[in-house]
Amino acid sequence: MLAFVARRIALAVLVVVGVIVVTFVVAHVVPGDPAATWAGPHASAAQIAAAQKFLGLDRPLPVQLVSYLGGIVRGNWGISIHTHRPVLSDIMTAAPATLELVISALIIALIIGIPFGLISARRPGRVADQVIRAGSIFGVSMPIFWMALILQLLFSQKLRWLPAAGEYSPALLFSHPLVKRTGFPVVDSVIGGNWPMLGSTVVHLILPAIVVAAYPAGLIARMVRAQVLDTIGEPHILNARALGFREGQIFGRFAMKLAWPPVSAALALVFGYSLVNTFLVEAIFDWPGLGSYAAASIATLDTPAILGVTLFVAIAYVVANLVVDIVQAAIDPRIRLR
Amino acid sequence: MIETPVIAPADAVLPRGVRLRRALRANPLLTVGGLLVVLIILVAIFAPLLAPAAGDAGTATHPLDVLRGPSAVHWFGTDQVGRDILSRVIYGTRVSPVIAVIVLAIACAIGIPLGVAAGFLGGWVDELVMRVTDVFLAFPPLLLALALAAVLPASLTSLTLAIAAVWWPWYVRLLRGQAASVAGRPYIETCRALGISRTRIIFRHILPNSITPLLVQVSLDIGGVILTASALSFLGLGAQDPTPDWGLMVAEGQSYFTPDWWLVTFPGIAILVTAFAFNLLGDGLRDLLDPKRSFLP
Amino acid sequence: MRRKRAWAAVSAVSTAALTLLAACGGSSYSSGTKPTTTAKVFTYDTYTQVMVDGWDPATEYSNGIIAMSNMYQTLTHYNPVTHQVDPLLATSWTHSSDGLTWTFQLRHGVYFHTGRLLTAQAAEAAILRTKKLNGGASYIWGAVKSIDAPSQYTLVFHLSYPSPLALEASADYSAYIYDTQAAGAGGNLTKWLNTPHDAGTGPYTLQSWNNGQEFEVILKEFGKYWGGWSGSHYSKVVFRVTPQDTTAAQLLRSGQVNFVEQMSPTLWQSLKGVSDISLTSSPSWQNLLAQLNSQSLSEPIREAISYDTDYPGIIAALSGAAVQSSGIVPAGLFGHFTNLPSYTYDPTKAAQLLNSAGYGPGKKPLNLTLTYTAGDSNEQVVATLLKSSLSKLNVNLSVQGLAWNTQWSKAKSSTASTHQDIFIEYWWPDYADPYSWFVNLLLGEKQPFFNLSYYSNPMLNKQINNVESLVATNPPAGSSLYRTMQVEILKQAPIVFLYNSNYQYAMTNNFSGFQVNPAYPNVIFVYDLHPKS
Repeated sequence: MLAFVARRIALAVLVVVGVIVVTFVVAHVVPGDPAATWAGPHASAAQIAAAQKFLGLDRPLPVQLVSYLGGIVRGNWGISIHTHRPVLSDIMTAAPATLELVISALIIALIIGIPFGLISARRPGRVADQVIRAGSIFGVSMPIFWMALILQLLFSQKLRWLPAAGEYSPALLFSHPLVKRTGFPVVDSVIGGNWPMLGSTVVHLILPAIVVAAYPAGLIARMVRAQVLDTIGEPHILNARALGFREGQIFGRFAMKLAWPPVSAALALVFGYSLVNTFLVEAIFDWPGLGSYAAASIATLDTPAILGVTLFVAIAYVVANLVVDIVQAAIDPRIRLR
Repeated sequence: MIETPVIAPADAVLPRGVRLRRALRANPLLTVGGLLVVLIILVAIFAPLLAPAAGDAGTATHPLDVLRGPSAVHWFGTDQVGRDILSRVIYGTRVSPVIAVIVLAIACAIGIPLGVAAGFLGGWVDELVMRVTDVFLAFPPLLLALALAAVLPASLTSLTLAIAAVWWPWYVRLLRGQAASVAGRPYIETCRALGISRTRIIFRHILPNSITPLLVQVSLDIGGVILTASALSFLGLGAQDPTPDWGLMVAEGQSYFTPDWWLVTFPGIAILVTAFAFNLLGDGLRDLLDPKRSFLP
Repeated sequence: MRRKRAWAAVSAVSTAALTLLAACGGSSYSSGTKPTTTAKVFTYDTYTQVMVDGWDPATEYSNGIIAMSNMYQTLTHYNPVTHQVDPLLATSWTHSSDGLTWTFQLRHGVYFHTGRLLTAQAAEAAILRTKKLNGGASYIWGAVKSIDAPSQYTLVFHLSYPSPLALEASADYSAYIYDTQAAGAGGNLTKWLNTPHDAGTGPYTLQSWNNGQEFEVILKEFGKYWGGWSGSHYSKVVFRVTPQDTTAAQLLRSGQVNFVEQMSPTLWQSLKGVSDISLTSSPSWQNLLAQLNSQSLSEPIREAISYDTDYPGIIAALSGAAVQSSGIVPAGLFGHFTNLPSYTYDPTKAAQLLNSAGYGPGKKPLNLTLTYTAGDSNEQVVATLLKSSLSKLNVNLSVQGLAWNTQWSKAKSSTASTHQDIFIEYWWPDYADPYSWFVNLLLGEKQPFFNLSYYSNPMLNKQINNVESLVATNPPAGSSLYRTMQVEILKQAPIVFLYNSNYQYAMTNNFSGFQVNPAYPNVIFVYDLHPKS
């Protein structure tokens, strides 16, 4: 087991280094003038030249790469051109909001996806199956930014059921201020016993989380269905039937155990996809997470910030995959042999 | 699998037309998907005839007619410079799907040779190619495409290149798997022993065997590329005005969304329906052609 | 600074929220419990980050004035009704007959937020520092040769040429009086200010700054404000950044914000008749310009572009947010004329002019580049309409929307080949005077700054350098000179004056005292508002 873990970690580290190199290469295709943007609107030619020096843009490329690599490892991810603060600190400030959103979305996706997948697999080929399959394909075909706008219009403006934007109701900003401990508003409200704030944060989470959950829900439903159908003919299921368990019980007690491995593998995948999908919806919901930061960086051609976010998400994705792999290996020894 | 096989052995003697029809009936999703895709392609081909105001998909503007709601004259209303949205949505069928085709063509052009080389030759070639694809696969697709598109000057070309740069690893993996599995079979060893060249083996055995999974993967991916392309155009990183790209139309329509909902709604539906159609088609093809599906989502 | 007028649909930045508490009843989805504080909060909703230039009142030249004008004050304040300046930190002023010596009497008992008393020495130090830093609109003090403080509350300016100093002292940029000793004896004031801290005299002081967050800037009342706090006042001001104007409108409807700075014209109109919301539409001194690159485009081509701009189309497409420009100087300012020879939409004439330069339909195509500020949908509409009308004359316009900083750095770069052919931006004056347009946009520059037509006309340069003192000594002659300059500029067409903006604001109607002041664009002096309880 230990050998497996060590091997996977080593591989992951190698991949991360490759990721860093790729992002660095992407950086140097830039045709803009980061020095001018950095120096700001009042800069003279001399100030821009000084900015070039400050940003290290006057050194040869390989030197810049090595310096970049070293910097990343030490936590220096560059300075954001539009906020003038370290990129890593900007990311750390923005990340909790996005993580909260993604985790809530994944929870919703699991709650929707798994049962529907099971129902679909129960009677394959029949109406319920076709409808659910169409529905899951619908989910993965949905343009997320459009869904966000439509749902916001419908539920916030027309029906007034849910709030339009923000992480919590601004009325609570002064009456029940949130004490930041972990950076996750929901967690912080629970820790602080700030119940009005908890209610508000949860209510504000609903709409964005549903939007982000569409794709994973569709994907999970399809995977559960496929995996269950694949394994339903296996000997141990036949055995269960022979032992007298009813179909319903088989689905309830055994099928999920069979469906779990690929679903958990898929979780890492949809975690990565959802992290990136938040880039498209956060601006619409005023959600102050990585997505808003990325959108701002794109609009200001803030290359260090764009790369920082890219790196962060890629590393998170690699780590998520690593964790899932190790957990799966811990559960299923056969995997360790691969 | 519990599903009855679509083509039972006895059916093999039935005429092709009947087999096809049975297959389609047994796969309603595939049928619907296929029909929708054909419809979309027809709309793209006949766009100049179908669009009431073809000029509106180009540089024509009508400033006195801005932001009119759906009516008999303009079924989908007009946008912020008075252009007919129906015409622009129709011409949009010539934008994203075409980008998708080009992207996947590039992805195949890179992925097939690399994948076959890796799978067939094995050894260090395989290791190297696999590690490199691992690095690229470590990025969720939209992410790397976004980073690339953000540093290139915004245009459809940059968009296409950015997405292609992200999509090719899947095809390397796919072809590698195919090549490796074929290469490992005993009859291939026999062929080699008989002195048959590697090239012949590739072209006569590996590639033909790969067509089916390749076809399935491509049809599954078209929907994904269309969504990625419209997402990047939405962020301003791809198509520029006046190109009638649906993602761009949603982005431009955002500021007017309340109360002029039609600017965003119709292009968005177009994206949804198109991606849905191709995904249905791909899913149905996968069920039909590749019963032992592999989990490339 | 003008560019920040752009509104960002998908733009960055933080959102600072300001919600109106209790009084308005909140939204239907607030947490449900009644707020426990009685603080009255005013929320100003803007579309882009507020503090982008740093926190130094001497060099601020952008959006930050919406917050700073509540924390800092100027010697005088422009009154849009009387068209005169009113006393603020100065209670009265006189000037010598030759206009070269100005004497201001300062208000007694005014304290900086740092605790120090406002004296003539402190004011002198602030103005001298602003001049020295030479940022922002510091040119407004350009006539000042030296300053004296003969007594604790008497401030004397010695000018090198006559200039309307009382008017200039009311400017919306670079005229703030602040405590230069806030950082201590050897301290770095800029660094101290950027912590951030504020060193102003205004009714509100900085409570918190959450850079990159929703509720970006929060101000709280300054207890020792010289104006006092009797009567109904807001005790807190929150600046909330909402990149999407449709979201901002929803927040306004639910009462979570009090005031929305900018939204698309149709969105604004859709709020007509909605209870609890009032709308204002008022003329401003802001115009939208297309600066034509006079180095790459010859005069016939510039004139052709001026004739090929669909002015009525643009006005119609922007439904109420825009009015036809007449000359350079907007109505309400000295130097405005309604009968100047101006351009109309005349594609035939434009084609003739292009032909004379070898371009036009049937001849070789002309390829031009245009940049505008990304996210501003009005600018985008204008760019699209321009592209459309030009394409009919075989001119291919390539349109690029860039973030303001990027748009400007590209235009200012020393490599002339990267310069755009057409630069779209807004302009508004630094103080209630037409001089700002001429000195910033049309005076020849060695290094491009805001003269992004890269235009230099020697005779015009001389006139611009003289006009201020002429206006001070001989107003009718000054007015006449402004007219002459405008006629010449319109003839040479380095700038196309697309339209004048109307400020279309939307706000809740649970307060009184709101007044639009075109001299302070988009600024709300929250102290002057009285919440209805």
